[in-house]
Amino acid sequence: MATTTATLTLSSDIQSDALLLTKQTSLYKANTTTGLDQTTGFTKTIFSATTNIVLLDSTTLGVGKAAKVYIANRSTDASEFVLITINAQIIGRLYAGDWMFIPWSQSDAAGNIELAPSVATALPVEYMMIHEGATQTSA
Amino acid sequence: MATTIASIDITSTDLLSDKLSLSAVTTLTNAGSATGVTQTTGLARKKSEATSLYILYDRSALSMPAASAHKVYIKNLSTTAAEFVTITIAGEELGRLYAGDWCFFPWSAHDDANDISITPSVSSALTIEHMLFFES
Repeated sequence: MATTTATLTLSSDIQSDALLLTKQTSLYKANTTTGLDQTTGFTKTIFSATTNIVLLDSTTLGVGKAAKVYIANRSTDASEFVLITINAQIIGRLYAGDWMFIPWSQSDAAGNIELAPSVATALPVEYMMIHEGATQTSA
Repeated sequence: MATTIASIDITSTDLLSDKLSLSAVTTLTNAGSATGVTQTTGLARKKSEATSLYILYDRSALSMPAASAHKVYIKNLSTTAAEFVTITIAGEELGRLYAGDWCFFPWSAHDDANDISITPSVSSALTIEHMLFFES
């Protein structure tokens, strides 16, 4: 069984009482304490068009499971963002340097995670999915 | 200007044959600028006792610009592995947050229907922790 942990640290002086929050979770398969054992690998893609693309394709084996997705916009230009959608529903904009980490239950075959860059110049994005199964496409 | 920093570390020694150690740090800023976000709902807890839909962040009730760089943190504080909350945005399922899991994501809050909601998997007590950082 693989052991994978994800740790979040949030620090801020946004309030008069300083915030320092650290949370760690082990990445388990749905309903279990068995570690997730599959991954897409850590991927880097440089986008050069504003076309909306399927970043992660929802698959039958993933429906209702406990996949975790990490996406980071590695641009250094503050105005550049990527728009993240799931099944055409806008989630949010990841601006330069921003990252996100979400569970993805792939609610149905249409529940793809899609990404649209705000610029057509080179915009680097890193992403990774850690999961418990994906449907293989026949050749 | 407030400075809010969010970092993530994903590590594993045995998911792959090569050790995984991924780190990323971001400073939470307003959309398209280097100015830090200045508002927050504060760190909050919600205890549910039904499998109903609960609106965590009601877009129409929040005074905030649309299509911006707001950020959301949610954690399921349950310790029972089978218990989860399903997170939805404007009715679209994002994912299931199982016991102990947390998530952190951007929220563009682009229209009044763009609420963030949770639906617990159990009708017994289940507590989540959540926080929103947003632009004014």
